[in-house]
Amino acid sequence: MIEVAGLRKWYRVHRREPGLAAALRSLWHRPTEEVKAVDDVSFSIAAGERVGFLGPNGAGKTTTLKVLAGLLHPTEGRATVAGHVPQKRERAFLEQITLVMGQKQQLLWDLPPSETFLLNRAIYDIPRAQYEETMAELTELLELGELLGKPARQLSLGERMKCELAVALLHRPRVLFLDEPTIGLDVSMQATVRSFVRAYNERFGATVLLTSHYMEDVAALCPRVMVIDKGRLIYDGALQELVRRVRPDKRMVLRLSRPVARAELEPLGAVVEHRDAEAVVQVSQEALQAAVARALSSLPLTDLTVADPPLEEVMRDLFAHGRAA
Amino acid sequence: MMRALRVVRALMHASVALALQYRIEFAVEGALALLWMAVTLVPLLVVFGNRSAVAGWTFAEMLIVLGWFVALKGVLEGTLSPSLMQVVEHVRKGTLDFVLIKPADAQLLISFSKIEPWRVIDLLGAGIIFAYAFGRIGHAPTLPEVALAAALLCAAVLVLYSIAILVVSIAFVAVRVDNLLYLFQSVFDVARWPSTVFRGFLSVVFTFVLPLALMTTYPALALLGKLTPRTALGALCGSVAFATVARAIWLASIRRYTSASS
Amino acid sequence: MRRFGRLYSQLLRTGFAEAVAYRAEFLIWMFSTNMPLVMLAIWAAAAREGPVAGYSQRGFAAYYLCTLLVRLLTGAWVVWEMTMEIRQGTLALRLLRPIHPLLQWSADNIAAIPMRGVVALPVTAVLLFFARGELARDWFSWLLLCPALLGAWLLYFLVQAMIGTVALRFESAASLFEAWLGFSNILSGYLVPLDLFPRAVRDVALWLPFRFQLSYPVELMLGRWSRLQALELLGVQWIYVAMFLLATRAAWRSGLRYYAAYGG
Repeated sequence: MIEVAGLRKWYRVHRREPGLAAALRSLWHRPTEEVKAVDDVSFSIAAGERVGFLGPNGAGKTTTLKVLAGLLHPTEGRATVAGHVPQKRERAFLEQITLVMGQKQQLLWDLPPSETFLLNRAIYDIPRAQYEETMAELTELLELGELLGKPARQLSLGERMKCELAVALLHRPRVLFLDEPTIGLDVSMQATVRSFVRAYNERFGATVLLTSHYMEDVAALCPRVMVIDKGRLIYDGALQELVRRVRPDKRMVLRLSRPVARAELEPLGAVVEHRDAEAVVQVSQEALQAAVARALSSLPLTDLTVADPPLEEVMRDLFAHGRAA
Repeated sequence: MMRALRVVRALMHASVALALQYRIEFAVEGALALLWMAVTLVPLLVVFGNRSAVAGWTFAEMLIVLGWFVALKGVLEGTLSPSLMQVVEHVRKGTLDFVLIKPADAQLLISFSKIEPWRVIDLLGAGIIFAYAFGRIGHAPTLPEVALAAALLCAAVLVLYSIAILVVSIAFVAVRVDNLLYLFQSVFDVARWPSTVFRGFLSVVFTFVLPLALMTTYPALALLGKLTPRTALGALCGSVAFATVARAIWLASIRRYTSASS
Repeated sequence: MRRFGRLYSQLLRTGFAEAVAYRAEFLIWMFSTNMPLVMLAIWAAAAREGPVAGYSQRGFAAYYLCTLLVRLLTGAWVVWEMTMEIRQGTLALRLLRPIHPLLQWSADNIAAIPMRGVVALPVTAVLLFFARGELARDWFSWLLLCPALLGAWLLYFLVQAMIGTVALRFESAASLFEAWLGFSNILSGYLVPLDLFPRAVRDVALWLPFRFQLSYPVELMLGRWSRLQALELLGVQWIYVAMFLLATRAAWRSGLRYYAAYGG
């Protein structure tokens, strides 16, 4: 469905320094610098896959997404989506894709979402029967109900995002480009968005490309992740595998029947957290079995679980050390 | 083609729905439109206070030019400017991507995105001005004269629209220069006088470089039966050529458009 | 007092840096002030065969170029800034600073004078080249021009500020300003020299504040008045300035009370 080979995208940006002297100087001389947003990225995605792009700010995730959507032209390299070259922006191509951007909306601000729906219906030339069927499904899945009649500016951020999703999917696209869709939403709304996207993907077999800062988005939604840092693709594969490679340690979460001194925990491994009757101990993969056995025998446990370290930390490690896959 | 028309209809429906939402503003803006028409007339009234002709035009004849000016200004400020300013807003907010990702021509989408229906008062005002002027002249224009004037009016709107598209295309590339459209609106004021008012260098500028005076002078001449067929044809062809050039530049600008990531 | 001076001068410096950073927009905004030239075109055509009510072609050129100069140097845009900040809610940030928001906005405006001067220079050059003979010969008129310009700017700024305070309570500040602008264009001498209006209109216009925002400085530049008359008129201008200052203060206070209670 999506093929990318040797993609590169560079920008020129102006540099502006603070201060009066610099302001005056900028009248006749503006230094520019070259920014490599995407630097030699290649991958391929099959139809119906859900893929997450992870990376720090300015890593190139959004740029890659926009190139695939045809909004940016690559400086070098090739990309094809659904058999089309995105930058040609052919009508047949545009009718199969959709874009949702967190914190930016295509809903007409002062009008009810229903007006935007009508407008998009005309733009995508959706036949009446299909339009009504899709509207019914989306209204039910997203619980839109009375939201459709209120002006968009009167809706809360979460309600607007639900309507945004509906508008974006009105024409039943086969490829969904989601750029930080859950940013700024509260926890329950984030969960709603995630489960909706997943349901849509499973129901219609649409391909989903998601960029996000939130690990939960990716963990809940994307079996496959691509990690981009400084424009380069440093990992492409399953999320679990990534965790295992970057942080091959596990964490034992211990709950004890009575408070225990730190000294008693230290033989097990690195103590990450210790609060009276609860503790988290980090243990390497190899030493795990022995550590568990020891904890069971020497400590007054009420509960013991083994978990992966939080994704946030994994990512932090990954970007701090620039470790490759 | 049918699809494009349907899109235009949907766009106009949305912008009229928006305008009608604010009923009080509707009335206020209508009143303001009347005020500005009066302001437009005052200089002309004073100029012709105690003389009968200026630069070869009588009061009634100049009124006709002014009438076309009022009508075109209504079109410019009522539909073209607000719609095209939306582009500038989109660029600023980063939502132009939503326009570009739609399977419809971007120029079409942005051209009708915002209409201010109270500007129809300008068209009514123009009509009243024409009626009064022809009352003073003593006879009404003949049907072929009206038809020719209408054709030239279409040409004038086309040129106006193309200039606006050109201005917006520039705003695309140099993102911060977005009040170029505002500048154009004020330069457009030149079109309130017939082109013979200008002499020499300015005359050339306003006839060929920025055909402002022509947009109002030629339709007025047509209504007065003073336009030669050759000039009319030249104007019509010129406006089509101009529109073609503007479209080409617009498409080039879209191609050059870079959106900052995030 | 010294602290205020330091704060204000910092505001000026920042305002200047902003004006330079946004120089393209600024220049465009300045070039949009071209109405006097448009009016000059028709009057020059009208005066081709002979003077109109005492104005020759050169006289009209002098009048409208002076008008353009005065408008360029005394322009204000605070009403737009105010309405935008009130609508977007960023006014709260301004209120937190230890200096009155109106003073902050005034700093922005004053800081832009160098940029305005850049555009005013060629206009001045053209004026001197074409119409030097029409300008005032008495150095006293030119001396009075400084306070006259300051007064004109203050009147312009304060009216905008007053209308801006309407936005603290109602949405329609922009429309109000447009209406005011419409009347001002006619009655301040911007579109047509006040001398050319019918007697009745002229007599009224000469006493309205609009005249003192534009026509009075222009009259000084064209040497219309004797020294005593010029001084008297300066007095009237500054009486208006004082009135506007008080009115703006009152409008701001009452508007802010409402805003703090309901808006924000």
